[in-house]
Amino acid sequence: MYELMTMASMMEDSPNAAKRPNFSAISNSNSNGISKTNSVLMVKSGVAKKLVIKNFREKPKLPEDYHAETWKKLKEAVVAIQSSTPISYCLEELYQAVENMCSYQKASQLYENLREVIEQHVKETVEPYIRGVQDRKIFLKEMEACWQAHCRQMIMIRSIFLYLDRRYVLQTPSIPSIWDMGLELFRKHVIGQQLAQTRTVDGLLMLIESERQGDVVDRLLLKSLLRMLSDLQIYQDVFEHRFLQATDALYTAEGRRLMQELDVPEYLAHVDKRLQEENERVLHYLDGGTRWALIHTVERQLISEHLGSLLAKGLENLLDNNRIQDLSLMYNLFSRVKNGLVELCTHFNSYIKKKGRTIVIDPEKDKSMVQDLLDFKDKMDNIVLTCFQKSEKFVNSVKEAFEHFINQRPNKPAELIAKFVDSKLRMGNKEATEEELERLLDKIMVIFRFIHGKDVFEAFYKKDLAKRLLVGKSASVDAEKSMLSKLKQECGGAFTSKLEGMFKDMELSRDINVAFKQYVANLRTDFDSAIDLTVNILTMGYWPTYPLVEVNLPKEMVQYQEIFNKFYLGKHSGRKLQWQPTLGQCMLKAIFDNGKKELQVSLFQALVLLLFNESEDLSYDDIKTATNIEEGELKRTLQSLACGKARVLMKEPKGKDVTEEDKFKYNLEFTNKLFRVKINQIQMKETNEEQKATEERVFQDRQYQIDAAIVRIMKMRKTLSHQLLVSELYNQLKFPVTPVDLKKRIESLIDRDYMARDKENPKQYNYVA
Amino acid sequence: MAASGATNDEMMDIGGAELDNNKNEKMFTLKKWNAVAMWSWDVECDTCAICRVQVMDACLRCQGDGNRQAGGKQPECVVVWGECNHSFHHCCMSQWTQQNKRCPLCQKEWSIQRMGK
Repeated sequence: MYELMTMASMMEDSPNAAKRPNFSAISNSNSNGISKTNSVLMVKSGVAKKLVIKNFREKPKLPEDYHAETWKKLKEAVVAIQSSTPISYCLEELYQAVENMCSYQKASQLYENLREVIEQHVKETVEPYIRGVQDRKIFLKEMEACWQAHCRQMIMIRSIFLYLDRRYVLQTPSIPSIWDMGLELFRKHVIGQQLAQTRTVDGLLMLIESERQGDVVDRLLLKSLLRMLSDLQIYQDVFEHRFLQATDALYTAEGRRLMQELDVPEYLAHVDKRLQEENERVLHYLDGGTRWALIHTVERQLISEHLGSLLAKGLENLLDNNRIQDLSLMYNLFSRVKNGLVELCTHFNSYIKKKGRTIVIDPEKDKSMVQDLLDFKDKMDNIVLTCFQKSEKFVNSVKEAFEHFINQRPNKPAELIAKFVDSKLRMGNKEATEEELERLLDKIMVIFRFIHGKDVFEAFYKKDLAKRLLVGKSASVDAEKSMLSKLKQECGGAFTSKLEGMFKDMELSRDINVAFKQYVANLRTDFDSAIDLTVNILTMGYWPTYPLVEVNLPKEMVQYQEIFNKFYLGKHSGRKLQWQPTLGQCMLKAIFDNGKKELQVSLFQALVLLLFNESEDLSYDDIKTATNIEEGELKRTLQSLACGKARVLMKEPKGKDVTEEDKFKYNLEFTNKLFRVKINQIQMKETNEEQKATEERVFQDRQYQIDAAIVRIMKMRKTLSHQLLVSELYNQLKFPVTPVDLKKRIESLIDRDYMARDKENPKQYNYVA
Repeated sequence: MAASGATNDEMMDIGGAELDNNKNEKMFTLKKWNAVAMWSWDVECDTCAICRVQVMDACLRCQGDGNRQAGGKQPECVVVWGECNHSFHHCCMSQWTQQNKRCPLCQKEWSIQRMGK
């Protein structure tokens, strides 16, 4: 009973013992040869009776043949286990026998005997059995069965010989435990045989390969055999290496083949699938330690090797068609391999540069350039956000690429952005709500940020802003102000101070006009036809410069002008006023045969029309002499009156263009469904000229800025080589310049004695104070 | 160029009955006039001899301040005329007169003739 108790408790201890056996082949490590229910017996031993035990008077002796008999019994049992026949002795008896043998110092002999029996069995029974089978699959199955049997037997045997294992083996470090001995023998005689080993590994590789081809294979068989290799500690040596080689070869070939056969999205999806499969493989039957090398191999052969061609072949297409999912997949796959994202980023960058350039460079597409840019930016941002995980590297790359391509074409994008903003801020643009407009302006500012040479933008923006303010065409003061503050944030106060000044002028003008109305009311004038005169007073320098023109005004208009001059200069001493007839607007009351109309016209149009109060017919020359309007301007004015949509004048001979031989008379039969008729000015040609003029003004300004920068630098450095001067200039100047421009300015400054060439070294300049 | 072809104006019938009433009135009468005028300082030389900036712009000192304060032109940066008719930024001149009471251009004694408003 005592033995049973110890044995039971030892059985429970055994999983924690130092030389822990590996029961891999059997799922429940407790269900070994000895039934656990035995441990119930020990509950009874709680009796409180004292028992005195005395030694025998005579020392007991063993029978002579006890050792041989006992071993015979044990061997019988082992053979019975090995041949799966019932054991004729009860297990307790056997266990007792082992313990006795150990007690009588027969442990080492017992161990040797046991080893012999097992070795013989493995050798004789297992080995030829395995050699006999030919078919690979059957071979694997047999091998597995053989292994399982071996494990089962060893566990059984080990249970019987547990005492030996715990007592003798544990205390003798030089010999392996019974379980390990079993493994060792199996390794030596079964798997250690070259033929069996090769066949096993080949079989395994074949099974895995056929699974990779899409067949369903017995994963449990694979798992069991691979665990066997692990348990025998030959997994890495005989299997892993060859497996990785096979994997490498397979995916090298597959990568090359599929790169030809599939298009990029399909290929990427395939790679993704492969990676998943291999991961599952590790999960289901491979040893966990193989994961890294395996996945790495797949990544290298399917992704790294084809990085360049994948990008070259597929990226542009994916980006063009906004294939969000495919791009995400590409990013994820590429992020697995070294340099993958760097390469992706580089290609992404050059894609933007290439596409962007086509948007910007073609004058044919100028009309839609800004909208295209906005759309393109949106698209790229969205891709970076959703596919490239908003990675900072990509965000910066987008910025860099935009800045690069947008400046490929100097000046024009800046001009078009300014005009685009104008079109959005102008009245009549009712397609957007305030918030939408605000968002749009924000987006435009992002594009604007990329532009070198913001002075071009400023010049055009200013010109358009002036038009909006003077004609009262601005859609919303709030939007204007918000745009202004955005510009200020972006470029600083110096950039916007003049634009702000323009707004201030408009506010001041409103006050002045209120005061002027009162002033006129108090004047007690004697002229009967009261003209409602409002004047916008602009500060020179804030506004764009307008050509100075002199025209002949009717007497009463001159009178009014003089009254205003007197009024204004009385309030603001030291100033002078310069009237700008080109910007004047008038409202005329007109009487036609079928009713009165109000005509909304420019000052020039008004001047022409007013002449017809005196005479019905006027020739081109008459009009020119009377008004003194410049020739081109006059022709356009007459054209707008006589050839436009609302024809207040009639021209003889009829035609689209005005010539100097034409005669005009007013069109008494003028009709229009509206009471207030606006007669549009013709501007086509003018804008072209205007645009040239604006551009030229910017370039002029730039020259001054270059001059100023050169002098500033030279004043500080006193002497400087040409190269250093140029590089400092590039740092200081905020607009694009060519070395030729700089050289010209330097020459000019030398001519003007601001600086001089060094006498000894012509490549060096000296500052001249 | 102007779009043409819309000649239906002439085709339409005349339906006005007030033809006679208007005979004495002028064909066109000017009712409203929105004029535009530019103002500038009435000076002989448009650059301030002290700071070399155009008198229409803020003087150099004010420009620097203005940038720093993120504002435009200072309201007090006006033009001042001396009796000698030379003109400068008021800011520049008041600095100047602290050291020298003469006009920097003609060396006549400086006295203010008028100030810009």
